[in-house]
This record gives sequence, C-alpha cells and structure tokens, in this order.
Amino acid sequence: MATIEIKGLSKTYDYYKKQAGLWNSLKSLFHRQKLFTQAVKNIDFTIEEGELVGFLGPNGAGKTTTLKMLSGILYPTAGDAKVLGYTPWKRQAELQKQFALVMGQKNQLWWDLPAMESFILNKEIYEIPKEQFEKTLEELTALLDIKDILEIPVRKLSLGQRMKCELVAALIHSPKVLFLDEPTIGLDVVSQNNIREFLKKYNKEKKITIILTSHYMEDVEALCERVVIINHGSIIYDGGLKKLIDQHIHHKILEVTFTELVDERRLDGFGTIKEKTPTRVVMEVPKTEAKQVAIKLLNDFPVDDILINEVEIDQVIRNVFMK
Amino acid sequence: MSKYFTIIKTAWQRSMVYRFDIIAYRVGDLMEMLIIILMWSAIYNGNTKIGDYTLPEMLTYLIIGNLVAVLLRNFLYEVISKDIKDGLLSAHLLKPIPYFRYIIIREIGRIAMVTMISGATQLVVTIFFIDRIILNNDPVVISVIVLMVVLAFIIEMLVSYLTGLIAFWQDEVNGLHYIILSLRKFFAGGYFPLSLLPAWFVTTSFLLPFAYSFFVPAQLYLGKLSIHAGLKGIAIELVWIVLLYLFIKITWHFGIKKYEGVGI
Repeated sequence: MATIEIKGLSKTYDYYKKQAGLWNSLKSLFHRQKLFTQAVKNIDFTIEEGELVGFLGPNGAGKTTTLKMLSGILYPTAGDAKVLGYTPWKRQAELQKQFALVMGQKNQLWWDLPAMESFILNKEIYEIPKEQFEKTLEELTALLDIKDILEIPVRKLSLGQRMKCELVAALIHSPKVLFLDEPTIGLDVVSQNNIREFLKKYNKEKKITIILTSHYMEDVEALCERVVIINHGSIIYDGGLKKLIDQHIHHKILEVTFTELVDERRLDGFGTIKEKTPTRVVMEVPKTEAKQVAIKLLNDFPVDDILINEVEIDQVIRNVFMK
Repeated sequence: MSKYFTIIKTAWQRSMVYRFDIIAYRVGDLMEMLIIILMWSAIYNGNTKIGDYTLPEMLTYLIIGNLVAVLLRNFLYEVISKDIKDGLLSAHLLKPIPYFRYIIIREIGRIAMVTMISGATQLVVTIFFIDRIILNNDPVVISVIVLMVVLAFIIEMLVSYLTGLIAFWQDEVNGLHYIILSLRKFFAGGYFPLSLLPAWFVTTSFLLPFAYSFFVPAQLYLGKLSIHAGLKGIAIELVWIVLLYLFIKITWHFGIKKYEGVGI
C-alpha cells in the first residue's frame, strides 16, 4: 500500500464578486454574484513510504489547497485521497497521531509562552509516553541546536528560531508522514540551510515520508529526487528532478574570462550571448556541444578562465510553467 | 485525564502573562458596580420600596447578580471567530483532540484564574457594603444557587461558542454578538430586576436560558422565589444545555465544510 494515494482530487472554492467603490459596496449588500474558482482539478499521484517529494508550482497553483485536503483541514469537492490508508478529512485520531503539517507562514505554538510549554501540551494531546517524549525532544533539539531557547517566550524568538521550534512541535510525536508548506520562507540563507540539512538527515534516518512545497529551488535541489509540478490546479509534471532538467534544458552556460579585450564579432557562432563585458562573456551553448565549444575557445582566444555551468533550476521550473 | 489538566495548566500560565489585563478588567467591574449602587441609592432617595424591592434588597440583588455575571463571563466567541477568520483553526484540526473539547477546556482553565481574582475583589465590595445588604446562609438555597450557576456557566459557554461558529458564514460576528450580549443582559435582569416588568415578561424570560445567570439566582438568594421554582429552573437549564449542544453539532457539521483555512 502506498503511503499517500490521491485519485481525481478536486476542490472548488466559491466566493462573491465585489467591485471597488462605495456604490458597489452598497449594491452588494442586496445582491451578490457568486463565483467559483477551481483550485485543484482532478489530480492523481501516489507517494511511497520514505519518499521526499517536492511539490512545486507558482502562487495560487493549488499546492497548499492539496496539502490542506491531505491534512484533513479541507473537504474536497470531488475525488478521493488516502494517507496511510485513512481518509484525512474524516479526521480520525489514528491518522492524526501519525502525520504532521508545518506551515512556514503560520504559527502553531503558544505565542506568549516558551516553546517547551507547547511541546508538553503536544505530548499530552498526542499521548506520547514520557520516555519517548524525552528521547525525541533530546534528539530533535540537538539536531536543530536549539536547547538554549526552549524557555524563551515564542514571540521573542527570531523567525529562524521559531521555525525550528515549529519543527520540533510537529515532529515530537514521531509522525510517519510530514507535510511541509514552505518551511524556509522568509528565513536568511544560514537558517534556510540549517533547516534543509536537518530535513535531509531526518528523512534519511527515520524513513519518514515528506511532501515539501517551497519557492526556494535550493531546497528542492538539495532534498528532492522526485518533483510533482502543479499549475492552475492540474499536475503538469510528475517524475525525477534530473529527468525534468534533461527534458527541458538543452543547453549549458559557458562563462569565459579573457586576459585581454576581445572583439564581440569574433564570438559569433559559438552560442547565444547572454552577458558581455570587454573581458568577460556568458553564453548559452547546446548541451552536446559544450565541450567542443570550450576547447575551441581555449585554442582561439586568450582565455584566463572558463566555467561550464548547468542552467539554474529556477530557470527550469520557469520553462515548465511557461508551457 | 492528564491531557485536560495540561491544557488547563497551559491556559493558566498564559493568563499569568496578562496579569495587568486581568486586574484592569476587575477595576472596570468594580467601577460599574459602584455606579449601579450609587444610581439606585439616588433613585430610591427616601422611597422605601420600588416594585417589591427595598433598597437593601435591590443592592443585594445587584451585588449578588453581578458577582455571578462576572464569574460567568467568557470570551469564547472572540476566540472561535478569530480562529475561523484567521485560519488558526487549521492547526487545531490536525490534532487528535476535538476542537470543541480543547477550546472549552482551555477556556475553563482561563476562567478558573479570573474567577479567583474576581471572587477576591467582589468579596472586598461585599464586605464594604455588608451592613447594607441582606445575608442568606440557608444551605439548601445556597446549594440550589450553586448548581444553577454551574449550569448557567455551561450555558453561557455554549451560547458563546455557537455565536463564534457563525464566523464560518459571516466574516464579522462582533456586531451580532453585541446584540446577543445586550439582549442577554436585559433578559438576565442585569440592568434591573425583571419583576419590575409585566408578569408575562418574567414568564417568558424563565423559558430562556439567560435569567438563570443573574435574575433567578439573585431572587432565590433574596427568598423571593421558592426552592421549587429554583429546581424547575435547573430542569429548564438542562434542556437548554442539550439543545445548545445539538445546535453546536449541527452548526459545526455544516460550517466546517465551508471552512477554507484562509491566510495560510
């Protein structure tokens, strides 16, 4: 049995149209036009135990809606989903004790109290045995390096510290499935990296199944072998990240620095020039020709340095969305 | 069981963070009560009786009634409507404990704290006016009153919870709650004893749940209502608790399907 199975899942939101202006506001008191948006349209995918899947898409693509349905917060309009064999929106305690959702933009801790109080409350609510609680807490706080901030009220913590505490609160009951909705949003590069390293380690050690959404492609690149891409509510790609890159990217980036000034016209025919200063050029070259072009450049020009780079993954995803 | 105790303890700790707020509320309560006492003293001004109330009876009515009202005050509607509007409910829906149970227990925890402080300040006022109010220490009457107030406490929480759930449909519930609050205070006899009004009015208010959180306990205390009437009131309260619980179940059932967990 797959850990997560989604079949034909759809969600339609209804809302009322309201035009700007006082007169329209007055009108809307008496008559409102009901509109519908299909946030998720008939999606299917399956995730096996221990997988760490990147769930990508632009804002409003339906990522969070899908995660909310998988967590039992929202009822779907149509279709079905099973997490560990349970239907999430029935909100059975048996399932709830086995998964967690972390939302980067939402606080689940008691704002005015030290994080430790929220952990203890979770211990009781999830009915975690004392020894297991202490062991897990020790493990998580060591891995995240936050032992010294557990007694400080949450509202006084920095965003990075708070996020780490959120992760501890979510993982304290040792869930088998974890949904992460933009866990690194708004964090500085160091904190982002810490969280990323933590997730990598945790996923490997505990064989926990993770769905991750993020706008930071570094997250995805570092953590996910498989990605599911959603746009306008439909899945447009589901497969390996490597394969996605191969499919959509047919060129590499050559970055060349010269020891002396080079006439731009002499570079015609080598590739598409993206940037050019008198002694430096960045160009796109077909993947298969990258090596030959580099050799030719080395032979024909006064080259100081030459770099062959992969296209950035942001670019890859953007290409996919454009289609 | 330790689950519920921990929720209460955590709520308690949280309210300690807002010590000043609690004290400020108490000061407000005391001021309101002093104003009411002064006002009625001025209204009596030489009259021995208004309706069937002497001045000491009226003051006793107001002091006892206000004590009960303060103990029963809760902010569930605010908590719940905010949870729904701001999407905070989402975090609760993930947890293996029903939202209703969690919130009610947490609020009991919070109130337990406030109650102790209110009780203490109210006692000060009572002592201050001790020679102007009527004392009643009949154990049967006191027991009936305590039971009635406990049930009224449950009713108040359920009404407040139900009002909060309206946020599933309506973005703003404060106005609606204000209407309910004013009607409730009126029907509870919080402004003046209901018995100053026509008899049919009193009869009607006995069928509503609100009179049991002010008027009826105070009347019982003054001996203006029989124990029998008090027990009948308790039966009516029980019926209301069942009804309100059912309303809440139904409202939740439909409301939760409308919930979109916005703002995430």
